[in-house]
Amino acid sequence: MTPPAPTAKPRPGREADHSTTPLWRAAVLLRVLTLVFAAAVVFAYRHEYARPALAWAVLGAMTAWTVVIALCYLPEHRRWLWFTVLDLVVCCGFMASSRLVLTHDQLTVTGVPLVPTVWVTGVVAVGAVRGGLLAGAGFGIVLGLVNFAVRGYVDTDLSRDMVLLTGVGFVLGMAATSARVSAQRLALALRAEAATAERERLARSIHDSVLQVLARVRKRGMEVGGEAAELARLAGEQEIALRALVSTAPGETSSDGTADLVPRLIVLTTERVQVSAPSTPVLLPDAVGREVVAVVSEALTNVAKHAGPDAKAWVLLEDLPDEVVVSVRDDGLGMAPARLDDAAAEGRMGVAKSIRGRIGELGGTATVTTAPGAGTEWEFHLPKGRTR
Amino acid sequence: MISVMVVDDHPMWRDGVARDLTERGFEVRATAPDGEAAVRIARAVQPEVVLMDLNLGATSGVDATRAITGELPATKVLVLSASGEHEDVLEAVKAGASGYLLKSASADELVDAVQRTANGQAVFTPGLAGLVLGEYRRIAAAPEAGTPQLTERETEVLRLVAKGMTARQIADRLVLSHRTVENHVQSTLRKLQLHNRVELARYAIEHGLDGEE
Repeated sequence: MTPPAPTAKPRPGREADHSTTPLWRAAVLLRVLTLVFAAAVVFAYRHEYARPALAWAVLGAMTAWTVVIALCYLPEHRRWLWFTVLDLVVCCGFMASSRLVLTHDQLTVTGVPLVPTVWVTGVVAVGAVRGGLLAGAGFGIVLGLVNFAVRGYVDTDLSRDMVLLTGVGFVLGMAATSARVSAQRLALALRAEAATAERERLARSIHDSVLQVLARVRKRGMEVGGEAAELARLAGEQEIALRALVSTAPGETSSDGTADLVPRLIVLTTERVQVSAPSTPVLLPDAVGREVVAVVSEALTNVAKHAGPDAKAWVLLEDLPDEVVVSVRDDGLGMAPARLDDAAAEGRMGVAKSIRGRIGELGGTATVTTAPGAGTEWEFHLPKGRTR
Repeated sequence: MISVMVVDDHPMWRDGVARDLTERGFEVRATAPDGEAAVRIARAVQPEVVLMDLNLGATSGVDATRAITGELPATKVLVLSASGEHEDVLEAVKAGASGYLLKSASADELVDAVQRTANGQAVFTPGLAGLVLGEYRRIAAAPEAGTPQLTERETEVLRLVAKGMTARQIADRLVLSHRTVENHVQSTLRKLQLHNRVELARYAIEHGLDGEE
C-alpha cells in the first residue's frame, strides 16, 4: 500500500480553508460518535464472531486511527490531500478485515454489520469537505463497492447503503463548495468596501488641495493670458478630469443586476462636456446601462469630430416614472435636412443610424433634431418596463 | 456697490476671489474660513451676497446657508463650489441658496453671477437644473398634500437649462420674454425652498423640537 505522492499544494485558498473548518470539525466529531457505535456493535457480537480477538484488535486500530485523523484534520495546515486518500484506503482496509472477523453466515446475513459499521461514513464526509460534491460522491461509491466485495453479493439493502453513502457525499460536498464560494464572495465584498472607503478618503483630500490649486491656476492663467493661458488650459483639463474622477463612486452592479447610470455618465465630463443628473440613483439593468453609456459616448465623439472646434456638449439624464430619458445636445454647426445626403457621404449618417439602431435594440427610441447653426440634439427614451 | 462676503476654507482661493471681486468694483466686506464664522460674521456685516463654498472641513456649508438665509432675508447666498458633490449642492439650494456656480467658471461669469444674485435672480448651471428636475420628480413619486409640482412650462424651461441653453436662447425657442424665462427658473427654486422649510417645521413639531417642550 503506497500512499499517493504528497502533492501538498493547498488547493483552495487560505480563506476557503477557513470557511470549511466547521465542516472538518463536524466530520471528525462524526468519526468519534460512530466509533462508539462500532464499539457497541463489537461488544454485542463478541461471542458470535469467528475471530472475536481480531474484532477487538480492529476496534483498537480504528480508535488509534480516529486519534490520528483528529490530529490531522483539526489544524488547518495538516489537511493534506494524500492523507485524505490514505484515510479512504485505511477505512476500506477495516471493512475488508470483516471477512476474517465475521463468520460466513454473518457475512451473508445483512443484519450483522461489518466491524467498522457506520464509522466509515466519516471518510465520505471528509472527502466531500475536501473536494466538493464529486469527490464526496466518489468516496461514497468506493465504500459502496468495497461493501459489495466484502459481502460477496449485491442486494437491495447493500444497494441502499451505496446510495446513502453517495448521497451523503454529494450533499456535504455541495455544502462545502457553497461555504467556500460564500467566503470568497464575502472577502471580495469586504475588499470592495475597503476600496470604496479609501477612494472616498482620497477624493476628500484631493478635493481639499489639488483641485483648489488647479482651479486657481486655471483662473489666474486665463486672466494673465499669453503662455500662461496655455498653462491655464492644461490645468483646467486636469481639474475637470480629476473632479469627475473623484466625485464618482465606482459604477458597481448591485445584487439584483441593476446599476446606477449616474456615475457612469458623470465620468464623461470634460472641459467641453457637462453632465446633468438627479442626485438619486437612476437604476437600469447593468447591460442596458453600459449600452446607453456607449451610445452617449458615440454621440459625444461625433460632436468632437463634426460639430466644430468650439462646440460644447451637454448630457442630461432624467428618471421619469415609466422611462429614463437621456439627452445629448451640442451647440455646434448642426446640419440642414437637405444636407443629409452630404452627411451620409461624410459618415455622419452612419453614426446616426448606428445610434438609432443601438437604442432600438434596447427597446427605446432615439430622436434627433438639428438645423444649420443650431447644433444637434439627441433624445433617447428608454421605457422601464422593457428594459427592467 | 454690491457688498460681498467670501466663505472658503482654502486661503489661496478665498483671497484670490476676494481680490478679483474687489478689482471688479465689489465691496468685499469680509471673508470666513468655516461655516460657524460665516454665520457670525454675516450677522455683523450683513452682506448683500455671500459666496459659499460647501466643503468647509468640519462645518457644513449647507447648515451655514440655512442659518444665513433664515436669519438675514436681505442676504443672498450663491454657492461657489469645486465639487461635483451633487447631493450637497441640491441641499444647499433647498436650504435657501439662490444659485450655484462651479469654481471653474471664469471671472466674468463670476461677476455676472454675483450681480444677478444681488438683483434677486437665480443663478443656474445645467448641472443644478438637472438636480432640481430630479428632485421634483423624486418628491412627485410619493406626493403628499402641499408637495410642490412643476408646471409644464417650468419643466420645459428647466430641461433646456439642463441642456446648456442660456436664458436668451430659451426665450427665443419658446417665444417668451427673457424676463419670463428668468421668472420660471426662479419660481422652481422658490417652491422647492418653501417646501423644504415646511418639511423642516413639520419635522420639528413632530419631534418636539419647536421649543414648546
